[in-house]
Amino acid sequence: MSEPAVAPAALQPEADVWVAPTWEQVVRDHSARVYRLAYRLSGNAQDAEDLTQETFVRVFRSLADFSPGTFEGWLHRITTNLFLDMVRRRQRIRFDALPEDTERLPGSAPSPEQVYADTHLDPQVQAALDALSPEFRVAVVLCDIEGLTYEEIAATLGIKLGTVRSRIHRGRVQLRQALAHLAPRRPAVEAGGAPA
Amino acid sequence: MSISESHLAQEAIAALVDGELTAGPATRAARHLSGCMQCRLAVEAQREAKEALHESRDVAVPGDLVSRLCAIPFTTDVPGPGGGDFGNLTAGPGGLTMQGESGAWSVDLQPQDRPQRPGHARWLRRGLAGTMIGLGAGITALALNLPASGVADPEPNGPVAGPTAPEEHTEVVPPVVRTLTVGNSAATPAPGGTP
Repeated sequence: MSEPAVAPAALQPEADVWVAPTWEQVVRDHSARVYRLAYRLSGNAQDAEDLTQETFVRVFRSLADFSPGTFEGWLHRITTNLFLDMVRRRQRIRFDALPEDTERLPGSAPSPEQVYADTHLDPQVQAALDALSPEFRVAVVLCDIEGLTYEEIAATLGIKLGTVRSRIHRGRVQLRQALAHLAPRRPAVEAGGAPA
Repeated sequence: MSISESHLAQEAIAALVDGELTAGPATRAARHLSGCMQCRLAVEAQREAKEALHESRDVAVPGDLVSRLCAIPFTTDVPGPGGGDFGNLTAGPGGLTMQGESGAWSVDLQPQDRPQRPGHARWLRRGLAGTMIGLGAGITALALNLPASGVADPEPNGPVAGPTAPEEHTEVVPPVVRTLTVGNSAATPAPGGTP
């Protein structure tokens, strides 16, 4: 977040000649961000690892198409698209296989301790995030965890600004409802009923 | 109280929390909020959800994942060998450099001074072996190609004369023979007696 965005630029001061970053540097600079995003989206370490691996494979395969200044947006786009592809693939499989139990994605359910150890995110928050529909989750994660602007999110997901706004809003409403029992701060005021 | 016309749009509520409203709408929203408990609660709920997510941002990347990511250049098939995706791929001492229209990337082939994990070492070794085999195959291909032209050249005067070509090279020679035959066909019938 504090880094000046592009990996290649960070290497420049050493010499006048532009030095190509090594693959290792690319991995070191960006793997944490990609993995975090993948984890917040998928909700478990296994999928997060697979998504991260696949993202970097894509990056490696299309390094030649890379243009400086777009690297992070590019990573976000690849990761979220891979995640949404994964979700759709699993939904197809699930609808074919078992018609009931359409609530959540199948997948290993790690213990809360494991989740916290992996992510340092409150397991209940991660669980609430997992319960969101993938489209809402992506929008909310990109906004609130990755800190993207609405415009960047719209570009990343290829959707309109209005859609971004409404997905973020509705995602947060659901999130807040799922976490209602965790909020000791405002005890009874809510009796008036939060708008859905 | 007086402003009970309409509540804030949902999109506006989210945008307000994220500072994505432009000045005009933001002022109007603030004015509405001052008199509308319901919208204030909605804004508060958005803010709380945002904060719940924002609270902690660190995720530890598993060490073996990083190793696997570093090994991608050695373990990934690149579509279209020698073409397409990489403008130019050159091997230097200790690394590969890819040069596209947009820049250059180098892939370090030297083992780094990272703490060695068994898994990583395996990947790297396999990767290096693969690369070496790949390079070896390229050189072999070159070596196989070179003699073909080398053999054809030294005998510019009589490729048609069958006997000069040793038996081992018969696979290479015939196309040459045929080409010459076609070229000469108008002038003379082939003396070598091609069928």
